[in-house]
Amino acid sequence: MIPELGHVALILALQLALLQGFFGLLGASRANLSWMAAARGAATGQLLFVLLGYLALVWAFLANDFSVMNVAEHSSRLLPMQYRFTAAWGSHEGSFLLWTLMMAAWTVALAFLGRRMPAELRARAIGVLGLLSFCFLAYALFTSNPFMRLHPPPMDGGDLNPLLQDPGMILHPPLLYMGYVGFAVTFAFAVAALVAGRPDAAWARWVRPWALAGWVFLTLGIMIGSWWAYYELGWGGWWFWDPSENASLMPWLAGTALLHSLIVTEKRRSLQVWTVFLAVAVFALTLLGAFLVRSGVLSSVHAFALDPLRGLFILVFLGVVVGASLILFALRAKAVMAPGAFAPVSRESALLTGNVLLLTALGAVMLGTLYPLLLDAFDLGKISVGPPYFNSVFVPLMAPALILLGIAPFLRWGAADLGKALHDLRWQALAALLIGALAPLAFGAWRWQAALGLALAAWMILATASALRARRRASGALPLSAWGMGSAHVGLAIGIIGMGLVSAYESETTAALHKGEKAALGPYEFVFQGTAEAPASNYSAMRGTVQVFRDGREVVTLMPEKRIYLKSKMTMTEAAIRYGAFGDIYVALGEPLPGGKWSVQFYLKPFVGWLWVGALLMALGGLLAAAGLRRQRMEREETT
Amino acid sequence: MSFWIGVGAFVLVALALLLLPWWRQRSAPAGRPWEALGVLGALPALTVGLYIYLGAPGILEEQALSQAQTRYDAEGIVRALEDKLKKNPNDAEGWYALGRAYIAFERAAEAEEALRKAATQAPKDARILAQLAEAIALGSGSLQGRPLELVTEALAINPDEEKALELAGLAAYQEEKWAEALHYWRRLLRKLPKDNDLHDAVSQAVGIAERQLAEKLGGTGMAGMPEAQERKKSPSPH
Repeated sequence: MIPELGHVALILALQLALLQGFFGLLGASRANLSWMAAARGAATGQLLFVLLGYLALVWAFLANDFSVMNVAEHSSRLLPMQYRFTAAWGSHEGSFLLWTLMMAAWTVALAFLGRRMPAELRARAIGVLGLLSFCFLAYALFTSNPFMRLHPPPMDGGDLNPLLQDPGMILHPPLLYMGYVGFAVTFAFAVAALVAGRPDAAWARWVRPWALAGWVFLTLGIMIGSWWAYYELGWGGWWFWDPSENASLMPWLAGTALLHSLIVTEKRRSLQVWTVFLAVAVFALTLLGAFLVRSGVLSSVHAFALDPLRGLFILVFLGVVVGASLILFALRAKAVMAPGAFAPVSRESALLTGNVLLLTALGAVMLGTLYPLLLDAFDLGKISVGPPYFNSVFVPLMAPALILLGIAPFLRWGAADLGKALHDLRWQALAALLIGALAPLAFGAWRWQAALGLALAAWMILATASALRARRRASGALPLSAWGMGSAHVGLAIGIIGMGLVSAYESETTAALHKGEKAALGPYEFVFQGTAEAPASNYSAMRGTVQVFRDGREVVTLMPEKRIYLKSKMTMTEAAIRYGAFGDIYVALGEPLPGGKWSVQFYLKPFVGWLWVGALLMALGGLLAAAGLRRQRMEREETT
Repeated sequence: MSFWIGVGAFVLVALALLLLPWWRQRSAPAGRPWEALGVLGALPALTVGLYIYLGAPGILEEQALSQAQTRYDAEGIVRALEDKLKKNPNDAEGWYALGRAYIAFERAAEAEEALRKAATQAPKDARILAQLAEAIALGSGSLQGRPLELVTEALAINPDEEKALELAGLAAYQEEKWAEALHYWRRLLRKLPKDNDLHDAVSQAVGIAERQLAEKLGGTGMAGMPEAQERKKSPSPH
């Protein structure tokens, strides 16, 4: 009965979402307070019923109710309890429902946290979110219904994909969705502003916290995804330029541009049209990502053709969102444009240039992601666009943006003197060049990736530190938002150090070893101590033991595993990693070979952890900036 | 029924969440409650209509009707039985049912313990003694010894006890006492309904035993021997 009640709850949520859209938008345009209140009530109800639906699905997983098709396909009696809980979002249907749930939660947060906002702006944003939720719920109910039933039910389910039976994969999707939904809120604000014609400084001040929150979650989601790929896929790659990764990178790049453009709109009442355009673009890109990941086009465009409804629905949804927004944009862009002029050399133009570089890089990523799909779709042949393309296009586009990142804080708003800024930064630039040229030599060999990464990172850190020091000297204590900027920019620099050094100096070797035999890599010696059975409830595993020595002293004992999942017969490599501040030792068990040997892979990954520490600092920066905005608002409210 | 009560409660909560804020905020010219009335009527109707279109309204009755559901949820029943017996450990019938469930899940040791408790409560119940014999045999891998004693005891109480007949025949078959096996199994076959898995298996085993007996008595050739040898490896009529 509980799954059926969950189904009814989703049907009610669908109707409440439509009413939320109707009352929110019409209530705002007629200034009808009771309709606007009804829109908030509908939003609360929508959250309640999506939550009930979601809990019903979770219950079905926990109770092994295999009469629910979704449970029968993605769980089994052998699956450990914690993964039965997370299997609820391990499937296509469940993860879409989670996305919808988060959207409802953010809407209610907006309804209650935005009390001081202009009533019409809030009601319009709630209305737009209601229409989006309506589309999401219609998609869930009509094409991806998690409550399809089986009668009679099977004895046991097909088990959860082993790749998803992992803590990293538990966190990754919810974080990404939190990010996507944060940008759905900024999209709703953008549409509301276009309708009402006022994307002014006050508007930007209301939007910024939501954009920052979305960006923080998206950053963390991408970081966890990359870390998961690193330890789970068995060879220590951290970014593959895989279309499903690019699907989350594209909104992140556009979202980063949006954050910076919002600053200009808030502080200088300028770039409004561009900001609104970016807000629309980020959300459209999250939908494009959903289309790529969820429609099945990635596994094959022909898989998409087999079950076209799901993909078609998102594609039409994407078309309507982009089309309607652009029409609105065309009609209203003139009206929302404001005269906030600035000189060609100014902080505004530096931020705008950075924005354009980010979007160009985004375009390059999009081209590389979509081009092979389009060729395949029109039967023009199969090509694969891999890391060589992305690296050779992405890096040259991002490098100037990173240089600009150091200069921009030294340029004044309105009009600035580029020569003076460069003069102020001459020592930092020289130091960065020297570090880039010399520091790689400390690693034994000069490699350009390391030189570029270190030079850029040194430049960013030194310039950011100088900017913060100059600001402190000028105005006393630093506001939280400045700390946020510092943390995010330094975090990016630290991430770049990790990227540069690991791609320049990573090393690997594969050896076929008997018990007791040795392999060497870099300064380390690995002694293979054989394998032993290590069974678990839903897989059986061979666990190898590898002692790692350096200069004759034992550093650590690593225990990589090879698992076979009983239901799906999938083989998984569970790498053993010794994390270190200056690099990781990474051992993966390969295949058993004839004669009792095992093939074992050894990797050294210098500075790879800096990538994720950098991403964490960036997310922290976003949080600090959001906290700073909140504090500013409190202070403003106290003074008025 | 309780499902539709739940649906009704959901709809009421939805309407309350929607209309109460509206009511509280109603502005001065509140003379047009049409939208509110429209929602009041449309929401329940659409909910029921969409559910009947999208959902599986029949599944609750089907589930309640079909025994299949309970069989698939046997684990749940075992747990419920265990709880019940903790409260009421003198229930011989309950221990018997639990023992049979354990046998179905091949948990021989637990089955033996449960059936022993059943036998202590009802020492003259042939069904329980025969079932206990099977549980012990499952654990030890042999019907000889204690299981056979229990089977004999059960047949003394009730010469037509089906499980006892089955096991007695099997024990004789394993010892290649063909005539004795046939004695028990033919009696069993008369008791079993015709279209039944156990009936098929027993009659197949009876056929083998008959051939073996004929060979032994008549000493005729080796024809049919390999097949019989092969079958002998898995003589269980299960």
